[in-house]
Amino acid sequence: MIHADYVAPASLQELLAILHQHGGQAKIIAGGTDLIPQMRLGKLAPKLLIDPRHLPLLGIAEKEECIHLGANVTHTQVLASMLLKKEYSALVAACQQIGGPPVRNRGTLAGNLANASPAADSALPLLVYDAQIVTSRLGGERVIPLNEFYLGPGQTQLAEDEFIREIRVPKMPSITKTVFLKLGNRKAMAIAVASVALRLSLNELGQVIEARIALGSVAPTPVRAYLAEAIIQSNPLTEEIIKNAAQAAQHAASPISDLRASSGYRSKMVAVLTRRALEMVCQEFASGNSYE
Amino acid sequence: MNEIEIHLAVNGIPRTIQSEPGCTLLEVLRDKLGLTGTKEGCGAGDCGACVVVMDGQAVNACLVLAAQAEGTQIITVEGLAQDGNLHPLQSYFAEKWALQCGFCTPGMLMSCYALLLNNPNPNPEEIRDAISGNLCRCGSYQSVVEAVLATVKFSQEARGG
Amino acid sequence: MVDYSVIGRRADAVRSREIVTGQALYCPDIRLPQMLVGKLLYSRLPCARITRLDVSEARKLPGVVTVLTSRDIPGENSYCYALPADQPLLVPDMVRYQGDALAAVAAESEEAAQAALDTIQVEYEPLEGVYDVLEAMQPGAHQVWSDRGNIVDHLVIDHGDIDLGFKQADLIIEHIYLTPLVEHAFMETEGAVAYRDADGTMVVYSSCQAPHRDRAQIARSLGLPENQVRVITPHIGGAFGGKDEAHVQIHAALLAQASGRPVKIIRSREESILTHVKRHPVIIRYRSGITRDGILTAVHAEAIGDTGPYLNAGRDVMNFVAATLSGPYFVPHARLESYTVFTNNPICGAMRGYGIPQASFACEAQMDLLARSINMDPLEIRLRNGLETGMLVPTGVTIREGRGMKVCLQEAAHLSGWKEHDKEDRKPAPHLRRGWGMASIWFSIGMGRNIPDHATATLEMTLDGSVILHTGAADMGQGAHTALAQMAAEAIGVKIEAVKVIGPDTDRTFDAGPSVASRQTFISGNAVLRAAQPIREALLQTASEITGLPLEILQLKQGLVLAEDELLSLTVSELAVKAMEQNRRLHADGYYAMEYPEPLPPNSYRYAPSVFTFGTQVAQVLVDIETGQVTLEKLVAVQDAGKVINPAGARGQVEGGVIMGLGYALMEELLVYRGSTQNLNLGSYLIPTAKDVPGLVVKLMEIPEPYAPYGAKGLGEPPLTPTAPAILNAVVDAIGIPLYRIPLTPERILAAIEAHHAENPPNGD
Repeated sequence: MIHADYVAPASLQELLAILHQHGGQAKIIAGGTDLIPQMRLGKLAPKLLIDPRHLPLLGIAEKEECIHLGANVTHTQVLASMLLKKEYSALVAACQQIGGPPVRNRGTLAGNLANASPAADSALPLLVYDAQIVTSRLGGERVIPLNEFYLGPGQTQLAEDEFIREIRVPKMPSITKTVFLKLGNRKAMAIAVASVALRLSLNELGQVIEARIALGSVAPTPVRAYLAEAIIQSNPLTEEIIKNAAQAAQHAASPISDLRASSGYRSKMVAVLTRRALEMVCQEFASGNSYE
Repeated sequence: MNEIEIHLAVNGIPRTIQSEPGCTLLEVLRDKLGLTGTKEGCGAGDCGACVVVMDGQAVNACLVLAAQAEGTQIITVEGLAQDGNLHPLQSYFAEKWALQCGFCTPGMLMSCYALLLNNPNPNPEEIRDAISGNLCRCGSYQSVVEAVLATVKFSQEARGG
Repeated sequence: MVDYSVIGRRADAVRSREIVTGQALYCPDIRLPQMLVGKLLYSRLPCARITRLDVSEARKLPGVVTVLTSRDIPGENSYCYALPADQPLLVPDMVRYQGDALAAVAAESEEAAQAALDTIQVEYEPLEGVYDVLEAMQPGAHQVWSDRGNIVDHLVIDHGDIDLGFKQADLIIEHIYLTPLVEHAFMETEGAVAYRDADGTMVVYSSCQAPHRDRAQIARSLGLPENQVRVITPHIGGAFGGKDEAHVQIHAALLAQASGRPVKIIRSREESILTHVKRHPVIIRYRSGITRDGILTAVHAEAIGDTGPYLNAGRDVMNFVAATLSGPYFVPHARLESYTVFTNNPICGAMRGYGIPQASFACEAQMDLLARSINMDPLEIRLRNGLETGMLVPTGVTIREGRGMKVCLQEAAHLSGWKEHDKEDRKPAPHLRRGWGMASIWFSIGMGRNIPDHATATLEMTLDGSVILHTGAADMGQGAHTALAQMAAEAIGVKIEAVKVIGPDTDRTFDAGPSVASRQTFISGNAVLRAAQPIREALLQTASEITGLPLEILQLKQGLVLAEDELLSLTVSELAVKAMEQNRRLHADGYYAMEYPEPLPPNSYRYAPSVFTFGTQVAQVLVDIETGQVTLEKLVAVQDAGKVINPAGARGQVEGGVIMGLGYALMEELLVYRGSTQNLNLGSYLIPTAKDVPGLVVKLMEIPEPYAPYGAKGLGEPPLTPTAPAILNAVVDAIGIPLYRIPLTPERILAAIEAHHAENPPNGD
């Protein structure tokens, strides 16, 4: 048994007030799939757990400029969304590979981001989709671009009394393809050894207008490979350019050695996965098929 | 720590439980309700031995605080049989030897039950995905898949094809 | 061809209904009035002297009923699997591995027990320790024990003339193979519930494989006569050898004795991985000589096993490595050696296979390299060297029934389309390579000669013809009770549904020995047959008298009576009533000890087993040469069963063994840094999920084994053994680079590919 008090406020205001009142002694518990194991081992010991389950949060809502993913959206709900499958397929692909069904049924996107594991699968597609995090605290709201959200392993910009209310994902340019690739040490229920998400958006002339590459498990936080993106954005996509971009992505990573893999292996995999992701997307554009 | 009161339905029966807030649903089921069919294999959500169905979805009971189950409908392995008649999944698990030591079986059954609630005609790949969160060290995965396929076939025939 | 009416046919597993309804009780499910929660304090340090251990404050805590240290043990403070009994139940002074227990606590609740553990004051003087097995063998290494050297045992099995053998070889190759430290990962962790009965008997529910041995150990440590201890096995959630030696049951009994109340101890998953015995990591240097026609002339192989600090099953396991290291082949000259070495690493003991998986891995990887070195098909080299009935093997044994070796080999080759692989696409994409590999194994059934290896079973027929089978054989999920029930039903002549099984209860069932060495089908099976025989005879005598027909033409089947295959209007139930009226006895026990009628030549290996089973597996893999990831695409497993008692159960044992072998090959490894295990949960110690396993093709061959009940021999362990080498050989075939170590993690494969390219730059690959 873990030792903490529990409260499930009925409104956002109430939640924010409680969160503010307890400061660092309280944590938000949504699916609990990261929080409870950590508390059981004594790695985290909040005195109060605040559950947003009664909040009237929107699930997955499509608006004019962007998609809103409420704080309570689970990975399973992402997988079930026709809208997300169509428009944000890399996010669906990433959620498909998180844990197993029981974990996906409970774990939330917001919780996964807040937990700030460098291996978080869903963070990568959200990064390449230029997602923003909308937070609330008693003083008001703010919007944090996801690529500024992480400060270090397990550390985010969130203040102690700040709550992720929703994730906003802008609409993508009409010609967009994305890929999510993950390497694990077995074929299910595996924390990533290295992972990559890639988005390429083209104009009508077939030139790359937006390139986004996000890397997971190879740095203290999920990171963007900005130099690699720049190489892609300013050059035609030849084999040589792809190779250069892959190498640049490799340099954006600063992996460590741990139980799952060595830093050297991870570093090599960044290049391999980035290259493959680029090749896959190029092939799709060439053949006109949609990536599944 | 003060105890809190939780109201939930377990296997169709409304229950009111007094529990410490940090108690998990698994502890409530096993220790307070005496429903020991659901097992603890790891306590950390890694093995699936504690899977129950909550509001129609498979969840690891060790990762749900009892308080988070407030107002929910829980089905455990003890709730599958009706009036002493085994659910077809249970009969086919036995028939196909989809169990050896049986410790993973309750969680495995509930993952399969949840699958069939949401997908009445799964293919083998989908079944494997549904049980990917249930570890079986005895290695009964293939027999579990066959038991689910047999259940589906039986249900289709029972409904007249 | 005998037509059996019960064995070889479908039957639900005994007690499957309890399992699928959630009614089956395992140790954690047992609740008794006034029951206390027991917990043990583990050192977590691998090597240290205890300079202070003070439990006085812990004893005073509210809710804490009993705290025990080594001073409080009335009898022997040791586990007693092997002699000398060197592993303390509660360490008095020296901690020798991370899982050593220092104190035992019983309290009213989980929280109170944990509070007691947290309040116990311990001070350690950390000591140097030794964590590398090769280093431990050197003079000057830290000595784990002051009164024994680190090399506990060195077995040498000599056969023929090894120097001559190598002289006869046209080619000699030598390689070193490595296998990892492996966790059993049974889904139910170790547990026990102990309480003192009204008549003073200490009753212990134990999740264990050896109930009668547990009884002896508990009695020994509590200072009680053995008949004052009663061990009962509830449902057991997997064991795989990890519950052969005692774990927490003796501690639970000590706490129950001291507190006067029932005590339940259930290890958490982390505690389980931290403390219980593991599979030995073994280093094998394997030197083989062959002629240019691929005939083996000599094998000199040495195996070094890191056994941790306590003897446990260490010597026995390593001896099995040596005894089987030559593989299922005729090897005229051999020297097979094993070293059992102490270190301060996690303690190693029995795990499914008991050393034979390690030996088979090296032997079979080497066979493929031998084949490659002379451009021979791996199938062909195995056919040329495979054992046959009547051949002599290095331990001095002559193979009684050896047809299984080549039968399984050829069947596996046929089912997997071995000859057609060349037509398949080896390079389905620039970064992918497909390969095929095979491995053949032999596996010994039973403990070996000159070792107690017996079982007793009791059968009782009631007045209505139903049967009760009492067996002391633990069923951990391997299906022993069902197989034994089927044999009882067949042997007496009733339906399987008429047989109820009473499982291990040392007050009610005789000793059947431990459920290890894949022995229960053979040994308890024969015990069942010996118990059934007098009952069947009594029934048939009665039938003969009633009908006036001669005994020779009468049969009992499925509860009915037949004369020359014609049904009579007479049932077994009616016979039972009549038999009792005539004072005929309808209950009996049967005793069987593994028999070794053939004498061993002098200078043979004293404990040589004589019953063997064979198997071959063929694996097809896909390797991503840029990431090193391996996907098992197909696997064919052909296993020699002697006689299949329960088809579904047998298939389950083979599939389960293959899946465990898959984990061994690709993903399982306990990572230990200076005696401290780093991956202590099932999220970081990976075993195969449903998505890691492709469809498996399983075929069981039935070549009756002499002396075995219905010809049936064991299946619990053998199917695990060929899998890892078959997968390794397939990966080697796919990438064309030799490999010597499991698990084949993506990183290791990539490193091998890169090293190979560095030495052999590709020319336009």
